[in-house]
Amino acid sequence: MAPSVTDDLSLPHISDNDLKPFFVLHKASPRQHPAKKSAGKARRSVKVNLSASLDNNHEAELLDDQSHENLRMKNFHNAWMTIESTIKECMHNMNADVFNEIDSWVHKSFDSICSNGRPDTNKATCSYPIVTDVTAKQLYTALVVMNNMEFVDDLQTFADLGVHLNSHDCHVANLSSVDFSPKTGVGGCLRSLSRQILKGSIDSADISILASWYMEKENFKHPVVVIIEDMDRCSEPVLSDFILMLSEWVIKIPVILIMGVATMLDASKSILSSKTIQHLSLFKFILGSPADRLDAIIEAVLVKPCTGFLLGHKVAGFIRNCFLRQDGTLTSLIRAVKMAIVQHYLMEPISFTMKGLLDEHTSLADSWPNQALELPSCERRLSETKSEFCLGGPSKMKEVLDLWSCVVLCLHEVGKNHKTTLLDLYYEALDPKLCNMRDSDYLESKPDHQRSSWNHNMNGESVKIHKGDLIGHTIRQIRDLSPVALFKLLEKWNKITDGVNEIHEKVKELQSQEKLENNNLKETAIRSRRQAIRNVGNFDKCTTALNKKAAVVMSHMARDYMQPIESIPFHDIVCFTDVDKLQAGLLGDPRKRIQLDLLGAHTFIKCSCCSTKSGSSPISTMHDTTLMYSLAQEYGDVINLHDWYQSFRGIVGQQTVKDRNRSKVSPSPKKRKTAIEPQKKITEASIQARFCRAVTELQITGLLRMPSKRRPDYVQRVAFGL
Amino acid sequence: MEEIDIDEEEFGFSRNYFLAKESGKSGKKSARKLSEIDLVDEQELRAEVSNIEPKHEKEIASLINSYKSQYNDWVFELRYGFGLLMYGFGSKKSLIEDFASTALTDYSVIVVNGYLQSINLKQVAIAMAEVLWDQLKMQPKGLHHKDEQPFDSRSMDDVIGFLDGPHVSENECLVCLVIHNIDGPGLRDSDSQHLLSRIASCSHVRIVASIDHVNAPLLWDKKMVHVEFNWCWHHVPTFAAYKVEGVFHPLILAHGGTSQTVKTASIVLHSLTPNAQSVFKVLAQHQLAHPDQEGMPIDTLFTSCRERFLVSSQVTLNSHLTEFKDHELVKIRRHSDGQDCLYIPLSKDALEKLVLEINQ
Repeated sequence: MAPSVTDDLSLPHISDNDLKPFFVLHKASPRQHPAKKSAGKARRSVKVNLSASLDNNHEAELLDDQSHENLRMKNFHNAWMTIESTIKECMHNMNADVFNEIDSWVHKSFDSICSNGRPDTNKATCSYPIVTDVTAKQLYTALVVMNNMEFVDDLQTFADLGVHLNSHDCHVANLSSVDFSPKTGVGGCLRSLSRQILKGSIDSADISILASWYMEKENFKHPVVVIIEDMDRCSEPVLSDFILMLSEWVIKIPVILIMGVATMLDASKSILSSKTIQHLSLFKFILGSPADRLDAIIEAVLVKPCTGFLLGHKVAGFIRNCFLRQDGTLTSLIRAVKMAIVQHYLMEPISFTMKGLLDEHTSLADSWPNQALELPSCERRLSETKSEFCLGGPSKMKEVLDLWSCVVLCLHEVGKNHKTTLLDLYYEALDPKLCNMRDSDYLESKPDHQRSSWNHNMNGESVKIHKGDLIGHTIRQIRDLSPVALFKLLEKWNKITDGVNEIHEKVKELQSQEKLENNNLKETAIRSRRQAIRNVGNFDKCTTALNKKAAVVMSHMARDYMQPIESIPFHDIVCFTDVDKLQAGLLGDPRKRIQLDLLGAHTFIKCSCCSTKSGSSPISTMHDTTLMYSLAQEYGDVINLHDWYQSFRGIVGQQTVKDRNRSKVSPSPKKRKTAIEPQKKITEASIQARFCRAVTELQITGLLRMPSKRRPDYVQRVAFGL
Repeated sequence: MEEIDIDEEEFGFSRNYFLAKESGKSGKKSARKLSEIDLVDEQELRAEVSNIEPKHEKEIASLINSYKSQYNDWVFELRYGFGLLMYGFGSKKSLIEDFASTALTDYSVIVVNGYLQSINLKQVAIAMAEVLWDQLKMQPKGLHHKDEQPFDSRSMDDVIGFLDGPHVSENECLVCLVIHNIDGPGLRDSDSQHLLSRIASCSHVRIVASIDHVNAPLLWDKKMVHVEFNWCWHHVPTFAAYKVEGVFHPLILAHGGTSQTVKTASIVLHSLTPNAQSVFKVLAQHQLAHPDQEGMPIDTLFTSCRERFLVSSQVTLNSHLTEFKDHELVKIRRHSDGQDCLYIPLSKDALEKLVLEINQ
């Protein structure tokens, strides 16, 4: 524990604690809040100092700083709580229908089991339930199809389902594939089942205990529901045994099974034996698709500024790429948002004012703090008077944001028919270049073939649309809508824009025009059938005219109201733009970074001896392991230990220029030889020791594989290239 | 653009692999042997290893100290449910312990040394539960009733259930688990990782861990990464020596070197009967005389031993051979004509040395 006492951390001494498997470093001390903030504050206060007016009263400033920091943390907490509850609500709404369906099915099934005879205490006391009727051994089973290979996203869904059923008079146990491992066998899942149903009072794997519990008090009035989250990952024999056992006991404990299926609906048939399947009477339910959930969450959290926290264009792009290319799970997307929000509050000293956006009752008089004037987003516009901006304040920004999100949602309504995801639209709508493009014709409703194509490369590259094209393309889609679809679209626009006066008016206008034309057509249709036939052409004309109008309105909306956040002054306060920071926190890349550490050590160590000389060539002063690793780069997939050692020895033994000069000065060569010889003898052992340690360190990083018995003189390289 | 970059990167990656493979095979693969180096004695080597003069001490110290400015951020991330994962070259042991003892004074901290060979995670969990229990007792509004059972006699599920209990008061009671080398040999198996991830996801637990192996992320699946550990990565290369971490690794120049095996072999042989030694010598001489052969057929060995009155029957020879095989002095391989052959798994030089040593 020496390092904690002294300031110098580089010299670890092997102590007793180091060789214990674990130890208690210290116990929690009673809270001392002021002591907590020490190291990081210095940096921040400097930041604020720069931006604050020339205030000499340092102490007052520190106090101010402290209160700002507290406010910031509080804001963060609130923002995150809001996001979390928004997501929860979102998922709840998505799943509500399915959950209700499952709930009513559970109760129906329970009733039908009970109709075969209610369990009574007499039967429960016999050691074996005597079942003569085969159909009575049927186990009601719901297969919940997840539409999603990523079971991570559905963990919460099944937890929610458990809570939902629990609140609707069921005894619920949530099991997962971990409980169905061949190691613990059927006892493991039974133990976990009884832990949850009996609320942890008894820790045993005996189903008869469960049966006698079920007879007690009011317990037998409600069904027992067992939820297995991920059936596909369960061990087959264990799951089969479990099902067979439950079906034997179903008269005494009316268990209803709910199993999540990630792969195919018939996965149960491929996993379970036909004998087991016979005992199941299967029903199926389908959860909402992951794409819908994604859209819902993005709408609720990112497009509608529910927390006053926003993402910049590049960050959105990064998150989108992660989702599309790497992970594909909602969980990781939410995690990325959380990480972004944490980093934002840590980095932005004036994020303490963020609450302004959240507050429903911000008045026009509210303004940004003075420090905000120094923000880069504001400095760009020095030409205008600063006070004007400040007066706008959070309420002005909120207005702009509301308009923006309204237009994005309207666009998404159009795109829904063509499976445009909100994620893509959102990403593009954030592009600050949109603002500059406004004057150009990119949003004009030109036919598709005149533009850079994305229709042409259909082979899966639809993601790679030319910048600014998705929005334009979506607007053009309005022209091709059928009258019915247009009618529906206008209805939806009407709903979305409700409360945003500027846009709502225009939508209303469109709707009234549409009605008018519809009525005209109907009238003429009644007047004469003949005419009506002729009118079909007329009808088409009318609707295309209306389509055109709608498209024009939309493109005007996009042009006038869709102001990307990053082109608004003061966006820095609420908008997180540092992609690199987010990426570093979210996805460590140890394989690349550790190699880079080794190859470019001098950038970290910053010593005078190694960094001044040409970058990559190995020098004797380099850190031994980094020297060895750069030598290793010269070999193929295997390294001959002898050669490696010799070249290491050669470089380490090299004299520095200084030494060489000194030796040149020395008068007689003979003398020099005798002077150096004994020294060399001593160093041979130490060179070997250094070689050994470097190899060990490389072995710890996993970049080397040790010699095998078959090839005792070679080590194997593991990583090739970064 | 980005897609092209990624493709390029992947292509480069595979190209590098094949280039390396090729340069390894092509022509002048060096056949030099470790035994050609004048190796020092193992004890001397070990002594030297512990006395290696550190390079760039000052710079490394200031590099490590430069991370102190991030401590506050780390605490913040930790408080809001992220786990900290430190990586980068160099031992991060002292850095993390310094962080824990200066910035995490509000929490109890338990340190696990993952670089050790075996770690009993249940003991760790029990220790955490006990520390947490002490902490909860101090709470003014402590609603916890003392459970009659001590933690060591409870099941793992129970202990984890306790750690995952609800927060009673506003003041969060947290236990921080610091794991040096969560990718270390004692924790590398999937059972340990699953258990750790379950502990890490408990409501009263926060986790700070370090990794050193470049492939460490392969230990975790998506559930563990996103939901349970919830890692926040921090790249903190320290370039400090892996002193404790490397203690249990064999030294490459001490282990497996010819001198070492010759030494151990001669020690074993000296402990055997003179007859057994002579049988071994017969085999060794045969191997030295016929270096290209795959080994000596058992029958041939039996006949030549009987000629020299070393063994009287196949049974006695077999008992000697079993002894040799147990000590890995002799191995058996199948000859191309299907016959079992005996050979000594040592190089020619080593074998010569060994024969000399037995003769002494």
